[in-house]
Amino acid sequence: MKKKLLSLVLVGAMSTAMLAGCGNSSAPAADSQAPAADAQTPAADTQTPAADTSSSDNAAGGEQTLTVWCWDPAFNMNAMYEAEKVYQKDHPDFKLNVIETPWEDVQTKITTAATSGDLSTLPDILLMQDNAFQKNVISFPNAFVDLTGSGVNYSDFAAGKTAYSVIDGKNMGVPFDNGAVVGCYRSDILEQAGLTVDDFTDITWDQYIENGKKVLDATGKPLISMQAGECDLIMMMLQSAGSSLFNEDGTANIVNNDTLKIVMETYKALKDSGVLVEVNSWDEYVGSFISGDVAGTINGCWTMASIQTAEDQSGKWALTNMPSLVGATGATNYSNNGGSSWAVTANCQNTELAFDFLASTFAGSTELYDNILPSGALATWAPAGESDAYAVPNDFFGGDAVSAKIVEFSTKVPSNITGVYYYEARDAVATAITNYINGSDIATELDTAEKTVNFNMGK
Amino acid sequence: MYLFLCIVSFISVFPLYWMVCAATNKSADVVSGRLIPGTYFLENVKNLMANQNIGRALGNSFKYAIILTVISLLVSSLAGYGFEIYHDKAKDTVMNIILLAMMVPFVATLIPLFQMISTAGWLNTTIGFILPTISTPFLIMMFRQSARSFPHDIMEAARIDGLSEIRIFFQMFMPTMRSTYAAAMTITFMNAWNSYLWPKVIMTNSDSQTMPMVVANLTQGYVTDYGMLMLAVLICTLPTAIVFFCLQNAFAEGITGAVK
Repeated sequence: MKKKLLSLVLVGAMSTAMLAGCGNSSAPAADSQAPAADAQTPAADTQTPAADTSSSDNAAGGEQTLTVWCWDPAFNMNAMYEAEKVYQKDHPDFKLNVIETPWEDVQTKITTAATSGDLSTLPDILLMQDNAFQKNVISFPNAFVDLTGSGVNYSDFAAGKTAYSVIDGKNMGVPFDNGAVVGCYRSDILEQAGLTVDDFTDITWDQYIENGKKVLDATGKPLISMQAGECDLIMMMLQSAGSSLFNEDGTANIVNNDTLKIVMETYKALKDSGVLVEVNSWDEYVGSFISGDVAGTINGCWTMASIQTAEDQSGKWALTNMPSLVGATGATNYSNNGGSSWAVTANCQNTELAFDFLASTFAGSTELYDNILPSGALATWAPAGESDAYAVPNDFFGGDAVSAKIVEFSTKVPSNITGVYYYEARDAVATAITNYINGSDIATELDTAEKTVNFNMGK
Repeated sequence: MYLFLCIVSFISVFPLYWMVCAATNKSADVVSGRLIPGTYFLENVKNLMANQNIGRALGNSFKYAIILTVISLLVSSLAGYGFEIYHDKAKDTVMNIILLAMMVPFVATLIPLFQMISTAGWLNTTIGFILPTISTPFLIMMFRQSARSFPHDIMEAARIDGLSEIRIFFQMFMPTMRSTYAAAMTITFMNAWNSYLWPKVIMTNSDSQTMPMVVANLTQGYVTDYGMLMLAVLICTLPTAIVFFCLQNAFAEGITGAVK
């Protein structure tokens, strides 16, 4: 009898073990692109948005409460808290429940919720990286709500920015932070080579390299550093001429992309001249311009936040636009890198409230944008750039009104196409550029890159 | 020979030293590669406290890890013991299937598991956290191996003296296998403490965040405060380090075999 009892316990233990699989192999950093993300869309399609599940602690927490996922306490979380305050003036009962969720985790959770068909774990509103927006909405069409008729006036936003969250002509997101590309330079280092920041304004990459050589001769310092194996700069250059790695119909645009060839040649010329130095990690990249090992950097305007941590260098920095490509059609001095937009999920019980909240804060309140400006959150909402707060000179950047300048830049950024396979294409091009620098020829490398992307797309 | 060992131990210890140094330095100093302890420790502590609810995260981590360790040791050791002591052909087959489950990566079972737990309404609960890892093939195998060295004579003697099967397990087996338990405890505690993906998926409340989740939060955003980050990593590492050092001897014994 007792033997039976024991075996019963054992059976229980065994079934738990089977259930567990091998539960302990918890990956330390959840990769945002779990393979399931692309492959299992049909599973998500067959399920209706689980709006009826009452187990959700998110939306069910009261009529006037919205749950939000975003990830940076100093930046986008702060922006949400400020938005809450602005909205509460007219709606005293309104409350926000902001949950700090790193972007990679937002991606994992969207994938898990949408593929399992149980959307009840999603919040009402979440912040999404612009580069991943199209991928998520196309892969999980039932997980997000169309905002086209929500009362948000999209014509107030920079067109290049809004394009990230437009899918099939529908507006799926409310643009948030600005990723307009800025060129930041140490004016004291440039001075040693007899240059000023004006010599870097509205220039081409050829002039940039020429200036860079002067700086290199005078100070021994390169102009710019970039992380090896990443293609941030490549993508910025490409977008500055309005070119993308994909065509409108979603097919890869790599082999026949003349702009991309010019970009790769320019990058190699930068590297070969010693004006650009490659470093091995993001930390090293930030360290190189904070410690003055290089004379500046070119990146999304959010880099300014990192630059300004070096308080002792206040007044020694200057800001301008990026160089333009030589010989590319549609070349401009403006581009974009990074940035994010707010999306409303299908789990939102009170979409009216969510729409009204977004329309009257992030798409309707200069007060909000004025309040979050000190945290470095620059608007892509045009009316905000006209406010007085944006015209205040920034002493760190030599007394320049950099905020207004950046908002102006962002309105001139050409739009590009990200599509579902943006990250895959980016990786393929990063490999191509590395091999090209090491002596391979462009045609072969671009051909390989396009084949890789097509393979990823299942073509 | 000693030179080689010195180099290897330097390589493995250096990151720890770096972590401690970084926790006492300003972010800008960390980035520029300062390798000597600084004076910014208290500032980092203050910033970390203001930035994240460390107390709650530590509390959660301890709660989940301890509950999971206790239950999981009990369940897995019972299972391992049963598989060995009462073994027959059918049970061996089942054991093989369990071992096969060890080969399946967790990401493959993530979505079905999530579906099960969410249907049961266990999101954001302790039971949701611990259930998938309550018994792992590895632990069962480990206890099965050690049960193999458990002398059958002792069991026979106990049976003749009228001890029930359950009491043989609790009064004879458990005390003898103390070092195996210690080893299993170290492994389970560390895994539970460091587990990240699963809690991240099922814990949607900020109230149920664990230490590794807090560390991950700190790496987000456009500016990373490396000093503060390293301090959080240090706090996150200490408990597992303490557990390991306390049970170090038993751990080595448990791995090599319990009964002498």
